[in-house]
Amino acid sequence: MRSLAGSRVLRIALVAWAILVAVAVWAALTGRLGDDTRSTAAVDRRPAGAQAVLPDPVPPAFVPPEPRALSGLDHVSWWSPVSRSTAVRARPGGNAPVIARLSTRTPEGTRNLVLVLDRRRDARGTLWVRTRLPILPNDAVGWVPRSALGGYGSVSTHLVVDVRRLTATLYRNGEPIFETQVGVGRPENPTPTGEFYIRNKLTRYANAFYGPVAFGTSARSPTLTDWPAGGFVGIHGTNRPDLLPGRVSHGCIRLRNDDILALERLMPVGTPLTIL
Amino acid sequence: MHMADPQSRPTLARIDADGAIQEAVEAAGASTRARFLRKAALGSAALLAGLSQPARAARGPKQDTAILNYALVFEYLQAGFYTEAESLGTIRAMASERETWARTLGAHERAHVRILKDVLGRRAVAKPFFDYRGVTEDPNGFTRTAVAMEDLTVALLGGQAPRVSDPGLRAAFFSLLTVEARHAAWARRIMGFQPVASAFDEPKTLAQVDRVVRSTRFLVSRPGSEGKRSPRFTG
Repeated sequence: MRSLAGSRVLRIALVAWAILVAVAVWAALTGRLGDDTRSTAAVDRRPAGAQAVLPDPVPPAFVPPEPRALSGLDHVSWWSPVSRSTAVRARPGGNAPVIARLSTRTPEGTRNLVLVLDRRRDARGTLWVRTRLPILPNDAVGWVPRSALGGYGSVSTHLVVDVRRLTATLYRNGEPIFETQVGVGRPENPTPTGEFYIRNKLTRYANAFYGPVAFGTSARSPTLTDWPAGGFVGIHGTNRPDLLPGRVSHGCIRLRNDDILALERLMPVGTPLTIL
Repeated sequence: MHMADPQSRPTLARIDADGAIQEAVEAAGASTRARFLRKAALGSAALLAGLSQPARAARGPKQDTAILNYALVFEYLQAGFYTEAESLGTIRAMASERETWARTLGAHERAHVRILKDVLGRRAVAKPFFDYRGVTEDPNGFTRTAVAMEDLTVALLGGQAPRVSDPGLRAAFFSLLTVEARHAAWARRIMGFQPVASAFDEPKTLAQVDRVVRSTRFLVSRPGSEGKRSPRFTG
């Protein structure tokens, strides 16, 4: 009897233990362990409290546009002011032959600019810049130390003057945006052809012969070498619009005054100039 | 990750010839009217538009305009920096990860310039002329300067954002600030510096920012390529 009773107690104890284990496993799997009251309170507090206390974000007054990769570099040209007088050399390097000197000022008193064509470091690691030069013979290029130049400016314009067709066409990003008829040099004082750039702009002077605006270029007359200030070719207005278009000048490129004023609004200094 | 010596951290330790940034600082209320006008008299046509701002503008639309213009000058500075380096081929010569970073930041800064100019309209200051003193032509100098520039921009925006009075503008300003902070962290990581230097970003006063920017001399007078002398061209 005693052993039968003990066996029954043991069975009951085993069943009770199995039930407890099953309940514990179920509770663990369903997250019912712990303080039910605290858990429920936490769940209640988050969404209801946030909605009641936190306002909506303030809408921004502006949103920047989609960032864009750099493009259109094919039509960008670079120029730089001459920040200190320097020798121009045939090759990058302090021992290369000197072919010219660059000053910081133009004959018109403006800051001298050069068109940047290339850059290279010499064996010592010094950076050199290949530039187009405002010297004779026309089309000259040479190397100057980067340290002799200031910051870089950029333009996306290009002026093309056709001395046969007597036209000037301004391109921006490769597209023509302005064209007009011009006067160019007489046969005995021809407008030089080649690659040049716009070096400065003069306004508000009192000389009707040049019209209201005159651009200075890096081009020089190959025949008028003793002309005051070096015989630089300008692009300017005129007090004789009746002569245009035609071969009427000493080498300068003349435009009607309305046209030179329009060009002034469109063409920045530093613009490359091709004379065909 | 290799961490560079903190002593070698970049500082913008050169440059601002004509005080263009100084003018914008003073327009935003950091200095005296007298100094502001004296600087203006010395030149820097680029930011003369800032002259219309009172020296200590009352909190309101005028101060908001001054602060936005100051931010615009910084965005010009940064956009020009990345764009010049990309145009000159410096970024193309960098390792792939750095190239992606630099192109991305350049595109962001140009977008910031566009939107600030749009918002300011005719009140926007003109783009100044920059001389980056060769750092856009040297990959290492470029990267180190970028870190310093991004850090400085974060400090500037952090200091000025709370002063913007219009809530919508302030919200937009904070959005620019968080993006610039990510730029700064990315730049620091690229350079091998600790991306997040501390647990709290200390905003800089305009005077502090001004001192750093002036030391760079990146902002210079536009070359005087226009004159009034009678031409002596061949005619």
